[in-house]
Amino acid sequence: MSQLRLDQLVVDIPYQQSGFALDVTIEPGQVWGVLGPNGVGKTTLLHTLAGLRNARSGQVVLDDVPLTQMSRGAIAQQIGIMFQEHQDGFPATVAETVMLGRHPHLSMWQSEQGDDRQLVEEALKALELSYLSQRQIYQLSGGERQRVALAMLLAQQPDIWLVDEPTNHLDLHHQVSAMALLQRQGKQQRCVIASLHDVNLASQWCTHVLLMYPDRAPLWGEARTLLQLTNLEALYQQPLAVAEVDGRPIFVPRVAQD
Amino acid sequence: MKTQSKLFAFTLVLGGCLWSSFAFSVDGELCVVDDKQRQVCLSSPAQRIAALSPGATELAYAAGAGDQVVAVVSYSDYPPEAKQVTSVGSHTRLDMERLVSLQPDLVLAWGTGNPSEQVATLEQMGMTIYFVEPHDFEGIASSVERIGELAASRDVADRVAAEFRQGISELRERYQGAEPIRTFYQVWDSPLMSMNGTHYISKVVELCGGVNVFADAPRLIPRLSQEAVLLENPEAIVAGGMGEENAHWLEAWKAFPELQATKQNNLFFVPPSLIQRPTPRVLDGARILCDKLDLARGRR
Amino acid sequence: MAAVNTVLASVGRVQTPLWGLLLLSIVTLLFALTQGSVSLSPYQVWQAFTGESATLANTLVLELRLPRILAAFATGGLLAVAGALMQVLLRNPLAEPYVLGISGGASVAALLAILIGVSGVFLSGAAFVGAIVSTVLVFGLTQLKTAASSLRLLLTGVVIAAGWGALITLILALAPPQKLPGMLYWLMGDLAYAGSPWPAWVVLVAVCLILFPLGRSLNVLGRGALQAASLGINVKRLERGVFVLASVLTAVAVTTAGSVGFVGLVVPHLLRMVLGNDQRIILPASALAGGCLLTLADTLARTVIAPEQLPVGVITALLGVPTFLLLLHRGRL
Repeated sequence: MSQLRLDQLVVDIPYQQSGFALDVTIEPGQVWGVLGPNGVGKTTLLHTLAGLRNARSGQVVLDDVPLTQMSRGAIAQQIGIMFQEHQDGFPATVAETVMLGRHPHLSMWQSEQGDDRQLVEEALKALELSYLSQRQIYQLSGGERQRVALAMLLAQQPDIWLVDEPTNHLDLHHQVSAMALLQRQGKQQRCVIASLHDVNLASQWCTHVLLMYPDRAPLWGEARTLLQLTNLEALYQQPLAVAEVDGRPIFVPRVAQD
Repeated sequence: MKTQSKLFAFTLVLGGCLWSSFAFSVDGELCVVDDKQRQVCLSSPAQRIAALSPGATELAYAAGAGDQVVAVVSYSDYPPEAKQVTSVGSHTRLDMERLVSLQPDLVLAWGTGNPSEQVATLEQMGMTIYFVEPHDFEGIASSVERIGELAASRDVADRVAAEFRQGISELRERYQGAEPIRTFYQVWDSPLMSMNGTHYISKVVELCGGVNVFADAPRLIPRLSQEAVLLENPEAIVAGGMGEENAHWLEAWKAFPELQATKQNNLFFVPPSLIQRPTPRVLDGARILCDKLDLARGRR
Repeated sequence: MAAVNTVLASVGRVQTPLWGLLLLSIVTLLFALTQGSVSLSPYQVWQAFTGESATLANTLVLELRLPRILAAFATGGLLAVAGALMQVLLRNPLAEPYVLGISGGASVAALLAILIGVSGVFLSGAAFVGAIVSTVLVFGLTQLKTAASSLRLLLTGVVIAAGWGALITLILALAPPQKLPGMLYWLMGDLAYAGSPWPAWVVLVAVCLILFPLGRSLNVLGRGALQAASLGINVKRLERGVFVLASVLTAVAVTTAGSVGFVGLVVPHLLRMVLGNDQRIILPASALAGGCLLTLADTLARTVIAPEQLPVGVITALLGVPTFLLLLHRGRL
């Protein structure tokens, strides 16, 4: 299983002059939640970790090899990323879309084999999409489309999972199954890094968190230690209250009452 | 025997050269030079002629080879018999299959009108191509003679050519000293077009003692504005165009009463088929045009 | 679960439609051979090939019909594959050599060549260079960078095409009348003047072979540059390669038959509606179906009002415009 190391990494966020270096090692089995206010650069960070953007300085190292020294094909066999937005310009079925996840593992001359079909079938089942497999993707609802993207990532079977807002558009039931899916990947000794807008999802499902502040150095470490009222109030510039449900802290915004 | 035939051929060539400047014979073949200065030879007189422009059709009939014409193109309406001949499409896009299936032994092609690719294909198939494109009165007369030579109808052709030359020289003599009339010949209405001095229609105008006001235009067929015509202020306006329905072309000039041609009512129509096709009928057109310009002289 | 299995089984191996199209292509070519303004029986056509027939039928079939039909088929294939490639490249179903102004660039160059008075190889060469210049211009002005730029690319292409249109009008206005017929040929697209069909065939077959291993990568590219990169594709390299291939295809098609419009738009669309959007199927299917369409259109062009002959571009445009509108109306563009 692979390990992802952020070596003095400064993400190149547009229109943000100074950047703070990240020096984090993500070990197999860890599930990381990336938290921060809108526009702080969570998506840019994930794209940088996938090798899709150049860092301003520092490097991303996959098992002792910097990503910049790897081919796109080699990166895609180990690192998978789920984007927040999907381009569906052309007609395609759900099954075809999920099958794209197998692309990094096939050579130019190969077509999809029985194993690939098996994996796609399992992924569809895991995301409760089997009944939709023949459906055109443009006919899907936002939540269904989001699950298709997750199924594609599952079929890709990367060691490093980068997921951008995995619970977008999902109802509560599917939010839970999506987060449980990520947790399962962690249990299978994969690395999971998810950007989350909901601090409570991080509190419930993540082993580690990375808090990205707009104006000061980021914090990273175990979720238990970092998810404190003071850290989070500073993060969101919002007074919060904390409660405990099933042994986990739950944060809610406090609204001034007149 | 062999020497004898060569000698005979030589005599023929020599005789041919003396007899006329274009027709000659090599080893018993009929040879002429076409309007692209290519040598065109037939081993026996043309029996099946394809004429690929309305003008070429007219020339072939004038040369006495009408009975041998097996293929024409659209708008080949003169002489009326030509309308009965099989059409092989428009001159810009030939129906090659139909043309080839008619198996012509002489193709009268229009160098600047027919697509060169299609003519090249015909040539590759071994057909004899003669390019017709007369640029002046002598070109018209000699085209008739040359086609007559290839179709073995020199007697008719020579007579027609001689009559044509005679008619032209008569007109030339008659109008040599005539007072010049500044003339605008309108080829087309919208866009407004005329022709410069190198065009044979301009030569018809000159023949009649007219002066083509656009003779110095840089392009063969200049496109003009009405203003350019008003500026030249011609004494006579002659309209051609297609068919007989272009009287309104002349009507348009009546909107300018200060225009000299309008003022003196010198707006003349000459049937375009008599003047815009380089064939012996140009003589008829020329006679009409000369009469009109003479009329204009009388209105001074 | 069985349903899922069959659907999945179909992903990546739908060869049956291709065999069907291949059969259709052969039938189309044979049918076109028997049609013409001079009617020949299939038996006479057969005899022309076996060499037993009379010389006239021989000439008609072997020297006139066969080269033209082969040129039509190859040109149709080239244009359809070029269209399919550009649609993937731009992630936009409206992309097509004609719409993007590549044909326009070729036409302007060809018209200038005719104006100067060159012909043959130099004319074809000029058209080829014109097509390449136009593509470089369109892509250079847009800069293939981000996914969002594909719309800019299309708009740039449309504007460049309008620019070529203006230049074409200018050249036509200035050209001496005797050169107009040859010029109009380039603008309408006409197989009546097509030369040897073999260059087009060589390029078509070669490009299909080059594309064969790239089909799956193109499927991924169709989902956007970022998604493609995340699935292991060197997007810049693939896009540049596809762009070069598409321009070469267009340039060869235009040099063979002038600027025939809409084949590149209509054929890939119709195929996608029927066969889905797997480029491994769509690209070879486009080559075959495009060939069939242009062969049939040209057969119509040379027979429907014979002896008058129509330029094939008129027929494809007449078929293309309603299809284009229908697709717009269905809201899938």
